[in-house]
Amino acid sequence: MSRRSKGADAPVAVSEEAGGVRIAPEGAIDAESIGGVRETLARKLPSRLSGGVTLDLSKVTHLDASGVSLAVFLFRLAKGAGFGFEVTGADKDRRLLIDLALRGQEPQEPAKAPGFVREVGAASIAIRDGVVDLVRFIGEIALVCVHLVRAPQHLRVGDTIAAMARHGSDAIAVVGLLGFLIGAIIAFQTFDPMAKYGAKLQVADVVAVSVVRELGPLITAIILAGRSGSAFAAEIGTMKVTQELDALRTFGIDPVRFLVIPRLIATTIVTPMLSIWASILGVVGGYVILGPEGFTLAQYTDEVRQALTVGGFLQGLVKAAVFAILVAAIGCLSGLRTGQGPGAVGLSTTRAVVAGIVAIIIADSILGAFFYTLDI
Amino acid sequence: MPAPAAPAPQPATRETAISLRGVSIGYDRPIIEGIDLDILKGEILFIGGGSGCGKTTLLSCLTTLRRPLAGSITIDGVDIVKADDDAIRGVRRRFGVMYQLGALFGGKTLLENVRLPLEEFADLPNDVMDDIARAKLGLVGLGAHALKQPSEISGGMQKRAAIARALALDPPIIFLDEPSAGLDPVTSADLDAMIEALNRMLGTTFVIISHELASIFAIGQRFAMLDGARKKLVALGAPSELRDHSDDEWVRRFLNRVPTQES
Repeated sequence: MSRRSKGADAPVAVSEEAGGVRIAPEGAIDAESIGGVRETLARKLPSRLSGGVTLDLSKVTHLDASGVSLAVFLFRLAKGAGFGFEVTGADKDRRLLIDLALRGQEPQEPAKAPGFVREVGAASIAIRDGVVDLVRFIGEIALVCVHLVRAPQHLRVGDTIAAMARHGSDAIAVVGLLGFLIGAIIAFQTFDPMAKYGAKLQVADVVAVSVVRELGPLITAIILAGRSGSAFAAEIGTMKVTQELDALRTFGIDPVRFLVIPRLIATTIVTPMLSIWASILGVVGGYVILGPEGFTLAQYTDEVRQALTVGGFLQGLVKAAVFAILVAAIGCLSGLRTGQGPGAVGLSTTRAVVAGIVAIIIADSILGAFFYTLDI
Repeated sequence: MPAPAAPAPQPATRETAISLRGVSIGYDRPIIEGIDLDILKGEILFIGGGSGCGKTTLLSCLTTLRRPLAGSITIDGVDIVKADDDAIRGVRRRFGVMYQLGALFGGKTLLENVRLPLEEFADLPNDVMDDIARAKLGLVGLGAHALKQPSEISGGMQKRAAIARALALDPPIIFLDEPSAGLDPVTSADLDAMIEALNRMLGTTFVIISHELASIFAIGQRFAMLDGARKKLVALGAPSELRDHSDDEWVRRFLNRVPTQES
């Protein structure tokens, strides 16, 4: 098909009659000519209709499906102005084609856009509903966990180990790399300011404390949200779209026990381990900057050992476990709440990652304040 | 509903829309070999056969998404097996395709779905493109649903919307992959009537991949049957003629819906 241009002038007679306006195009009205016909009409049609519109096809030699759009345009124009629309000079087939095309084409009142206040209100209610849904879901998980404590044979051990491999050991490289780089970056950025105060070796303290208490768990959890939270939402969301969840339910199998708990347990076990790994490599990364400045490995490790406390180490582990629970719960919940349609899984995945990261940062702030209050 | 179709035209009097010569299709190994078939302008041709006989693979070859293992496929004078990318792009505008599940774009309304090919290939003002898209949706009975998302309409309506999108650029050939699959008999019959009406009024050639016997007998002007066991095209002709008088027992059994145990 050739590329259709807006078209040159097309022969269309427009005459005003007592009852309205008569439009009589000539020649072919098709994909090639429709642009020109519409341009001609835009010039010749009265700016305001005073009556019905009649489309006279008696001089039209060819009419295709795109040409029929002329009838749709005039029909909607006439109906929009409150007048009638009529076709003359059409044989049986053309009339049938136009009748088919005009079904349901009456102009509709456009839906009123909600006002600003209503939109803010709706968004607020959606956020509240989301939080309530998450809390309810965590409660549901807790109930299933209680059941599994009483009847541990119902835990799907194989699935849990597979999830640990997929979301734990498969993430070792990326978590280690980021931990190493974060440690090196912290050392690099703090070295000069600390050197001004003659505290070059104390850069090791900064690296150790920030990586072990804060950044190790945080980086691990953010990678978890991107890697595993999104995967949970996509896997479970796809299962929902393809009715696999319905199949589970009709077997009497609870999707939370079958799908969510193995993933949740797996991430809760592997995330603190990954966090320790990220912290170790972060400390190593710090030495990569301090080593060339003349500090020996013994000096560095001694400084790190002095800076770290058991409380600080445990703080990092607790944070990693909490982040893991949040990421897994949000990822699985997003999957279970996936809507219908081809874009639904994508939306769920995006929601899982964004909500997961937001939840991690909020939880980090709360836990930070909590540990500070307890003086850990 | 539109009036029934005119009797199947005689092949000899019609020009060829698509010509297949010695076409073998398959993946690592051929599924069907040596297909010789002329698809005529303005006909409704069904291509059918048992499950796994290569119907959808053949459709992929006809729609230029796969190359056959051997042979030539000529559409509009262009051998799409040997053609370069530019020529293939030109040929692709000569046909529209409706996929089995509709394949409508989920984030767009039906109007936007039908408008999309026009936006890409037609240099027309927005309001004209809207009216063309509305006309195409009206032709498939979805004029009142133009502003709905695909997820808001039924499976049958999605298939009709996909046909409207296939019609967007007024192609002379439309391929339909299992249009009746998963539809209730009434919706399926409505879809058949619509295909027949479009074929008669617009002269569009329809190539329909299906093994829905009700549709084949209702609107099929010719039926081409593939047999995966013998790896060849085993029958070509008017469906009722093949059902009653085919020399091939498998073809008669297929079109008469005879279970294997009775053979």
